[in-house]
Amino acid sequence: MNYKLRKIKNVVVLSLSVGATAIGLFFLGFILFDLISKGFSSINIELFTVDQTPPILDDVKGGLRHAFIGQIILTVVATLIAVPLGLLGGTYLAEYGRHKRIGRVISMLADISVSMPSIIVGTFVYAILVKPLGGYNGFAGAIALAIIMLPVITRTTEEMLKLVPWTLREAAFALGASYNNLIVKVVWRGAATGIFTGVLLAIARVAGETAPLLFTSFNNTQLSFDLSKPMPSLTVSIYQYASSPYSSWINMAWAAALIITVAILILNLIGKLLINWRYKS
Amino acid sequence: MKTEQEIVLETKDLSFYYGKKQAVKNITMQFPKNMVIALIGPSGCGKTTLLRCFNRMHDLYKGIKYEGEVLFNNENILTKETDATQLREQIGMVFQKPTPFPMSISENIAYGLSLKGIKNKTEQKDRIEKALKEAALWDEVNDRLDKNANGLSGGQQQRLVIARALAVEPSVILFDEPTSALDPISTSKIEELISELKSTVSIIIVTHNMQQAARISDKTAFLYLGELIEYNITDKIFTTPDNELTERYVTGRFG
Repeated sequence: MNYKLRKIKNVVVLSLSVGATAIGLFFLGFILFDLISKGFSSINIELFTVDQTPPILDDVKGGLRHAFIGQIILTVVATLIAVPLGLLGGTYLAEYGRHKRIGRVISMLADISVSMPSIIVGTFVYAILVKPLGGYNGFAGAIALAIIMLPVITRTTEEMLKLVPWTLREAAFALGASYNNLIVKVVWRGAATGIFTGVLLAIARVAGETAPLLFTSFNNTQLSFDLSKPMPSLTVSIYQYASSPYSSWINMAWAAALIITVAILILNLIGKLLINWRYKS
Repeated sequence: MKTEQEIVLETKDLSFYYGKKQAVKNITMQFPKNMVIALIGPSGCGKTTLLRCFNRMHDLYKGIKYEGEVLFNNENILTKETDATQLREQIGMVFQKPTPFPMSISENIAYGLSLKGIKNKTEQKDRIEKALKEAALWDEVNDRLDKNANGLSGGQQQRLVIARALAVEPSVILFDEPTSALDPISTSKIEELISELKSTVSIIIVTHNMQQAARISDKTAFLYLGELIEYNITDKIFTTPDNELTERYVTGRFG
């Protein structure tokens, strides 16, 4: 009767959700398997120690050192721009703008820009920093990445600061602290792990971005430390290599794709572990 | 009871408003030095609101208004010129729930010290030890001063917060139901501590627990609907109160 019907419903819903999960996991597994089987065999020491070589020279082994280093430079510069801005912005939203309408509006806009397609950021930066300056440059790439990171860091900071109980602020006020002082010494400290995790996840978010870099830092065949010139990056190199007709380049693209995937996975894992470690109790 | 008592804090016709709602109504009372004064009354009677007037805690929020005077060492602290930060260094506060900062035990106390301008490490160290001893916590934590304060038990956390308040050497400490979140053993430790502390600081304590008020306070004020109904020596309040409302409250017939 009624009870039996409930059991049937349960079985139906359970199998549907298990099925949906299985489909999702199948494709994820498929991608990872493909990536590992094709990428792993192409990883060799030259990949990290040699820059791009013309693909027609079969006897000269090429690598992606320039792209790895370029990617690191772009990400570090983007992080250096986005972290202070995001931290201060999130602090405004959680503290000074907590009960203001403007705070809620900014918060909502940040939420929207978290899910903004990254190619829009790319074209935007192209219009303001590439076209007027007369060419692709690394700085524009870093700014594009920073713009993508900014709302993530701002909102994480806001949420993490709001998790710090209000009574803690009152307690610091009661000791004779000023608001600025207690935000820096007490509130930030209480939220440090959470904010750091947010930064890691924001880095993981931009580490795989291609579209915004394609329009900004573009690519460079050589190692470059000059941010005013086009700067190589892994993601753009993968895009370029993978769509080339040369098998040696295509293999390198697989290897680079595997490495970037593993790197993002590690960043995410560290983030998750930190959250577990901090908020378990 | 001494006859000539020095007054540390005094209210004159003090009223307090949250928006249009008057939460404290024309209260005039005196707080003698080195005594424990208990504020009792049913929920919503304005006792915590009154307490928070003394360190201008209400200033953190919008739409509030003070009327009348609060004299601290004979100076009105409700003027615009009063520096709330400076005031709070002299009038400390301990809250209902323990509020250790997310840092080590010694840093918790050092924070208040550096706010006061005491930044010398050796002096800080001495003051931290002194404060922890005064708060009867030293023996339990002296081997883990650099450990996170959140690892302490609730009662230990509350004593750490008291030590933190004591370290800056205030002349008054306000306690807002300091034991309502604690177990009986921790509660009795805090009560003992409060009784000992009154030789160095004046104490005003808000409590829901009438036995607690009877045990630790020298004088008790009974508040009801924002008004001061009766204020007298604790023994008298609990045995032969003048007001019928007070009697009904302390005997548990309403509240």
